[in-house]
Amino acid sequence: MIKIHNASMRYPNGDGLDRISLEVKSGEFVYLVGPTGAGKSSVLKLIYMEQKPSSGYVVVDRDNSNEVGDRQIPFIRRKLGIIFQDFKLLEDRDVFENVAFTLRVTAAGQKEVKKKTLRALAEVGMSHKSRKMPDELSGGEQQRIAIARAIVNYPLILLADEPTANLDPKTSVAILNILDRVNARGTAVLMATHHYELVNCSNKRVVSIKNGTVVF
Amino acid sequence: MNSAFFLIREALEGLKRARLSAAIATLTITVSIVLFGTFLIITLNLSRYIEMLKSRLEIEVFIDDSFSDEKIQVIREHLTAIDGVSDVVFISKEMAIREFHRLFDQEPADYFEALGFNPLPASFRLKLAPDYLTSGHADRVVQDIVAIDAIDARDIRYDRRILLIIENNVELAVAVDVAVGAIICLSALLLVSNNIRLIIFSRRKLIQTMKLVGATNFFIRAPLFIQGVIQGVTGGFIACCFLYLVVALTSIQVTNLIVVSSSVYPLMVVLGGALGLLGSLTAVRRYL
Repeated sequence: MIKIHNASMRYPNGDGLDRISLEVKSGEFVYLVGPTGAGKSSVLKLIYMEQKPSSGYVVVDRDNSNEVGDRQIPFIRRKLGIIFQDFKLLEDRDVFENVAFTLRVTAAGQKEVKKKTLRALAEVGMSHKSRKMPDELSGGEQQRIAIARAIVNYPLILLADEPTANLDPKTSVAILNILDRVNARGTAVLMATHHYELVNCSNKRVVSIKNGTVVF
Repeated sequence: MNSAFFLIREALEGLKRARLSAAIATLTITVSIVLFGTFLIITLNLSRYIEMLKSRLEIEVFIDDSFSDEKIQVIREHLTAIDGVSDVVFISKEMAIREFHRLFDQEPADYFEALGFNPLPASFRLKLAPDYLTSGHADRVVQDIVAIDAIDARDIRYDRRILLIIENNVELAVAVDVAVGAIICLSALLLVSNNIRLIIFSRRKLIQTMKLVGATNFFIRAPLFIQGVIQGVTGGFIACCFLYLVVALTSIQVTNLIVVSSSVYPLMVVLGGALGLLGSLTAVRRYL
């Protein structure tokens, strides 16, 4: 479903990835671990095609990074759910509209938008705050909303870029539980983190990355 | 349809959030279109007056008292056949006297009884077709008249000076008009573009997030285009109302001083919308 094959990329400052290979199958939960600056976020960027590899390729579903044009990228991203450590909520609209936005870009009908949005909010336990603005919520609540936005359109895979980095341990565990539930329903999850203690408590596949290369 | 409603709502929400800069941009468009509209109205009225002046131009050919009716009829036929002459009217000596009285508000007896005869000559008055109302064409018509047997160049009168004044100044006036109009439009365009640029800059993080959840460029850009058009049309509409009032108030003082074609007002609104759309297109292409 997701395949990165011998992909390399370089930022202008010299950092980047060097011949990375990684595969995530449907329904899998994979931790991508490594120290800060190791290249975890860059791997995710290759998958959601914010960056394209200078060599090698990335396949998302059936779309190959070497073949897709810029115009196709939004449609590839609609198959993915992405969450970030800084949540990246749309601060100019309330919780409901933040989650609904993912559906609105697909030109979904009003009934469908309402039904799916309320369901996603219920899944993360935030139905009661649907009319709150993002700045009225705690960090943990904002991350729940970000997860709801990521899963509202039933993505193939949820890409989580350090989703617990800005949260306290108790809230982090709650977020991981939500990701577990999402995964249990069949959505693959690829979570980048440098919290080894969280990873050590689980029995999921771990891919370690260091200095831009996969070490195991 | 859902997307269209959503994009319009996004545009309106965006304007509400950036209401101050949107108001300034709208006001700028209003001022620009008021200036442009004023120039347009002045230009149209100027050309109306010019056409009116030109249409009054007549070439008068005086006829010797000794000419018989048959000869006068032959001259009339020659005059009518000249290329560019649209109308030929014969003014007899009696008609000339009546016209004299009408112009000078005098009874015939006052002047002409003392003389004992009618000193005013009969004449032909020639009107030129609209396309021939230039000094060059008028000169050619005069040459054709002189070529008629029995007509002397000294018997022909027309106000060539008016045609020369019009011809020498109209081109300059049109050039100034077009230049000023273009400068006004360009400045309005830049201001709208700058406003949209500021909106893009203030929303760059939101735009980035929208892209990450799968929004296409069109989906992000469309509300900005709609905002540009709304600002432009609103500015154009306010300008149109303002100018309509000014023209209406002026007309109360002096009727028919300014005549504005009914198509000018919708044109201003369309121009406003076009300026708004072009401004946002420019900004979006450069900065998004």
